[in-house]
Amino acid sequence: MLQGQDGRSGSLGILLTTLEQVVNWGRKYSLWPMTFGLACCAMEMIAAGAPRFDIARFGAEVFRGSPRQCDLMIVSGRVSNKMAPVVKRLYEQMPYPKWVIAMGDCSSVGGPFNNYAIVQGVDKLIPVDVYVPGCPPRPEALLDAIVKLQEKIQRHEKLGDRL
Amino acid sequence: MNGSDTTADVLKARFPLAVEGVSTFRSDLVITLKREFLRDVARMLRDDPRLRYNLLLDLTAVDRLKLGITPRFATVYQLYSIPRNQAVRLIVPLPWDGETEMPVCPSVTDIWPTADWLEREVYDLIGIHFEGHPWLRRILMPENWVGHPLRKDYPLGGEPVNFSGDRDNPRFAHLGQQIMEGLSFPSELPPGVDPENHMVINLGPQHPATHGVLRVVAELAGEQIVSAHCDVGYLHSGFEKTGESKRYEKFIPYTDRMDYLSGMNNNLAYVLTVEKLLGVEVPLRAQYVRVILAELQRLGSHLFWLATHAHDVSGTIHSLLMYCLRDREMILDIFEMFCGGRVTVTGMCVGGLRQDIPPAFPEAVKVFLREFRKRFKEYDAMLTRNPIWVARSQGIGYLAPEEAIALGITGPMLRAAGIPLDLRKVQPYSSYDHFEFEVPTATESDCYARYLVRMREMEQSARIIEQAINRLPGGPFRTADRKVVLPPRPELDTSMEAVIHHFKLVTEGYKPPPGDVYGMAENPKGILGFYLVSDGSAIPYRLHIRGPSFVNLQALDTMARGHLLSDLITLIGSVDIVLGEVDR
Ligand code: SF4
Repeated sequence: MLQGQDGRSGSLGILLTTLEQVVNWGRKYSLWPMTFGLACCAMEMIAAGAPRFDIARFGAEVFRGSPRQCDLMIVSGRVSNKMAPVVKRLYEQMPYPKWVIAMGDCSSVGGPFNNYAIVQGVDKLIPVDVYVPGCPPRPEALLDAIVKLQEKIQRHEKLGDRL
Repeated sequence: MNGSDTTADVLKARFPLAVEGVSTFRSDLVITLKREFLRDVARMLRDDPRLRYNLLLDLTAVDRLKLGITPRFATVYQLYSIPRNQAVRLIVPLPWDGETEMPVCPSVTDIWPTADWLEREVYDLIGIHFEGHPWLRRILMPENWVGHPLRKDYPLGGEPVNFSGDRDNPRFAHLGQQIMEGLSFPSELPPGVDPENHMVINLGPQHPATHGVLRVVAELAGEQIVSAHCDVGYLHSGFEKTGESKRYEKFIPYTDRMDYLSGMNNNLAYVLTVEKLLGVEVPLRAQYVRVILAELQRLGSHLFWLATHAHDVSGTIHSLLMYCLRDREMILDIFEMFCGGRVTVTGMCVGGLRQDIPPAFPEAVKVFLREFRKRFKEYDAMLTRNPIWVARSQGIGYLAPEEAIALGITGPMLRAAGIPLDLRKVQPYSSYDHFEFEVPTATESDCYARYLVRMREMEQSARIIEQAINRLPGGPFRTADRKVVLPPRPELDTSMEAVIHHFKLVTEGYKPPPGDVYGMAENPKGILGFYLVSDGSAIPYRLHIRGPSFVNLQALDTMARGHLLSDLITLIGSVDIVLGEVDR
């Protein structure tokens, strides 16, 4: 698979692996998150994309406006009852395979807003892969979540199952 | 004082039967009116040359069920006269026999068009029918919602906190039941929209250029916008109801989360209101530091606006997004040094500051200012004469000054229309009168003028910060009033009195006298107002927020008509909204 990369050896290197591992390896370093800011946490999500924290170091800088081009949804903020069906629909519009990070207390459990308006955790609507605590989590925390998600993707065993 | 006397006198002379009472509390003039006279009085207040209350700042209502006052509901109008720099509050009790679904109040939308959304909000959250409103329907809550959340007999809602995580336990079976079936399309189109002859397209709530979760229903004739109606409420978080269930000081962290780009300014507006209600004086040092923090935050907010606006309007100016966010990080570092928070800061407390500034603070601010000034020149040069930028923003979204006032616009948008209303100048709070600065204005009132005004404002903010940091006075950083702030830790070891104060404050909180106040401050986006009603307990009876973004956004329709669809993005950017504050 990785042939001739090491120019000095002069011979073709041979690497034995499974198809899953190669595909997972490719997927985990090319996450495309959705441009989808909900509330205060979105400010830190944007900061993570800005020069200081530079999410590009982890291969996840290609924010896309359309859910059809994304495989990562970062739920960055509180989800209201009015927004809930929209979030669900956006998730459904994303092609498989897809992952969700619940960024912040609000999207994880409702955060400071335990009231009539806010859905107490986005996991009531869509499956969540990584939860990030914090109000808002610092950009480093989001980057850590991405690394965690990458580990999770690498562990994915069988291609084709919808996870 | 003089001016407020006039208002009551003029009103009484003209409508002797209309006035039920006149009172002044904490220098707020409050006039109670009979419902029948509301519209006549409103028109007179606006038009009479001696009064000229041309700006309807705020419109809300109070459910007085638990105060034991009849009638149960009353609407509240906060008026401001720009030429006279005077404010008055009208309270209109609404007689209601409880047999109809909701009490009725005459609408003032034709007198102050800004009342359109404000009345819809009251209808939605409190349940008052405004007679004569052109399109009274829910604005923040989903259409199929049952009940009116801000009524006092409506529970706060939410769910019991599930510490065990055991989802199979039948106790938690109801979790998530509040989630409703979604409607993908509004059941009816806004009035005047003609889907037969025009194309109606939907923008948002997930759209990269709407700065959050705004939805716009645009009616198009070809590429041209016939009308652009906003559908808001996708981020409605129940701030007011939450505030009405917590002690005064516990709401400060929530204010960070409203307009999350201007946490410090929101803190300031809120603590000023509570201080007004309590009658607390704040030491000079705290006032100066508050000014520094608020102006730094204004820079941060404007930088973020510039970054996203430039990015939306022209994808080629992407580098500016990166530059501005880099500079904003420097401001966030200063905040972090001061209070540990970056975005949600909770930097101020009632009575002063939570803690004094650290020793390295002044130097960090000075370094920032030096860097900022240098870089700001570059940004200015990049955009101000950039032909693409000028072509895309000049002449777009004209708003006549009278129109702007009628729509209740405040902040840079109003100043770009040539009206120099800046509360920091006309009603200086927190020692703003100690500093020299100008209020930048423009007359073109288009997107380009708004851009220029904000750019010049950034320069002025830097000027204010510099003066404040150079002349920073010594002394305490919060009031010595032990009824409001905790005693310093060492005092607890030596003084029994301090222990008692500490205990009372922590267990009970402070109890302001009964009454209502309106407090406001000049935020980066416009005038942020808080209306507080105290019943004498430690929890506000009514807490209402006037979000400048909410009111300013109403102008989008007026500004967009006749322009091209692509200009809509420029327009949304030039209003400078934060959806957390629009939807609250
Ligand atoms: S977790 Fe905190 S910062 Fe994030 S959206 Fe919720 S309130 Fe805002």
